[in-house]
Amino acid sequence: MPIRELPDAPPSVHLLGPTVFLVALGVGMGESYLWPRLVLLFGPEIRWLFLVGVTLQAVVMLEMARYAMATGESIFFGAARVFKPLMWFFFITAIAVYIWPGHLSAGMAAFEQITGIPWQVSACIGLLLVGVVFSLAKVIYNLLENLLSVLIGALVVGTSVIAAMVGNWADLASTVTGMFHIGYLPEGAMSATWFPVIVGSIAFAGPSGMQQMWYTLHLRDSGAGMGAHIPKVRGLRHAGEEEQMPSRGFMFDTSNPAEMAKWKGWRRWVTFDALLLFWGVTMLVTVAFTVIAQAAARQSPNVKALIEAGDREASLNAMADSFASAGSSVLGVVFLGFIALIGMNATLGLFDSFSRGQADMTYHFVPGAKKFRMSYLYAGFLWGVVIFGILILLFGPADGPAGILDTLAFLSTFAMGAYCVTLLLVNNTMLPKPIRPKIWTNLIIGFGAVFYLGMLFYSLFRFGVIVN
Amino acid sequence: MGAERVRRLGELALPGLAIGVTGGLIAGGLSLLAGQPPGWALASMLTLAIPMGLIGGGYSLLMAYGIFRPGVFATGGLYWFVGFPVSRLIQEAGSSTIIYGAPHLREDVLSFLAYQALVSLGFAIGFVWLHERLTPSWLMRVQHRNPDAQRLLAKYVQHAELLWRGQEQRRAARGARSKGAR
Repeated sequence: MPIRELPDAPPSVHLLGPTVFLVALGVGMGESYLWPRLVLLFGPEIRWLFLVGVTLQAVVMLEMARYAMATGESIFFGAARVFKPLMWFFFITAIAVYIWPGHLSAGMAAFEQITGIPWQVSACIGLLLVGVVFSLAKVIYNLLENLLSVLIGALVVGTSVIAAMVGNWADLASTVTGMFHIGYLPEGAMSATWFPVIVGSIAFAGPSGMQQMWYTLHLRDSGAGMGAHIPKVRGLRHAGEEEQMPSRGFMFDTSNPAEMAKWKGWRRWVTFDALLLFWGVTMLVTVAFTVIAQAAARQSPNVKALIEAGDREASLNAMADSFASAGSSVLGVVFLGFIALIGMNATLGLFDSFSRGQADMTYHFVPGAKKFRMSYLYAGFLWGVVIFGILILLFGPADGPAGILDTLAFLSTFAMGAYCVTLLLVNNTMLPKPIRPKIWTNLIIGFGAVFYLGMLFYSLFRFGVIVN
Repeated sequence: MGAERVRRLGELALPGLAIGVTGGLIAGGLSLLAGQPPGWALASMLTLAIPMGLIGGGYSLLMAYGIFRPGVFATGGLYWFVGFPVSRLIQEAGSSTIIYGAPHLREDVLSFLAYQALVSLGFAIGFVWLHERLTPSWLMRVQHRNPDAQRLLAKYVQHAELLWRGQEQRRAARGARSKGAR
């Protein structure tokens, strides 16, 4: 890679940054539904597995950032440098798993409960809006960071207020202390019914599937580290202003102590992102939702039965109803509003990330694609997924055909094990020795690979069931 | 205090006031849609929106007068560690007094305050996050008629310069890239 100067790192303590994407993608159904459900089923002690899952994701995030900040390349590019079929595996997996608009249908079903507008209508309008807004934006990253920051800020403020009004000290204490019952596994958890659910919930603790890989693209567009040398992706309307995209990334001079000092500054900056913004906000939202679910189950035994039965929409509606019947703490509508907000955040984040990742791989590795600007490829994938999404919402199954749901769930979790292996290979072979990960980091990422793949295959062979 | 001074202070306090009031509106405004008696919803909304709006506005003013600094969470966290439980106490006691004629808490005062103080950390993260995002653009709109807003905006600009002092280097790097990219 050509050598370029590493920009100065900003101060490590900061409030706004590219992690907002990971939080927007990560805080989804896992936090608002799957984990509250497990707590009601097995008690708050089961939350130690959430702690493990999110902490592991924070380390993965730091390692994803290592390659992206050192080179300005995405992790997909890094995977292609190691073994090109590995990158194509991620390319195909992304299409198979992420073109289905299921994440939006749950949010818009909640929106229907509030407004009466059929969810298909609001979901289709939402999809079109996403396409139009991202096409008109001058620099997509800036628009999305602003938008998601406000949405996530509202989500955090709102869930805190709701948790403050419906929960109590005992709920919070049990939720938090439950995280430290390391090793707790109740008898029922190791069954064909619940083990796959637990594995799925761990995989969905924080960002799941390929979301961490897409984070490297957002990090690059935010200008972090060597990403400063790569042009930003622009909206279709401003595509003509896009600078020429280089055909590879850049490396800084790791033998220069001044450059290494700057590198350490960037590592401190991203560590702060991982610990406070990612780990902290994700933990906070899931604690709040667990407190809310415990309060709902206390007020209405019907909620517990519905949550245990596993019907997500019925459970969320029942939780809302239980608040609506609890006297002055009337928050049912607001609760549903936040479920809709989560669906909206996920749609904005996922569609942008999917298009960004596919455009990046296409531009660099599909012969002839460099004739097009990156912004055109991005727009092509974005509108492709929007139009496909609308067709599926109107005529097909939102989560994907029933016959391949198991395969999609398998691929999503398998991708997480696969990216841990990819990270180990990329960071330990493609980066210069002074900036390679330390042994303890490699051990944690290696543990991640064994953890995700091991549990996935254990579930498959021991119980004959794929995660769900 | 003259009307001009009040206007200037109001403009400085607006971002925090708006976020605080929004937090309060969450408590009651939308609950009207849930079919609750409007009086209950209004009581619940006002008794939280007013204290949270005032305390939020106070945060913005403290920032304007240099007691809090842009980009720092710890002071905001401590501020709401006290402010949030107080707001919730006013809401619980106030709304129950309006609705039932006497103040009532779901649990004893100490447990109530301790729980609210812990939850306040979450609220503070969201509040500071939104405040950092909304305040600079608001100050830009009013700076021409409000010297205090202009001074506060200068602090934000200084902070932004500190955060992104590598910007010039990047621009230079981009210039060099057009020669050596391919």
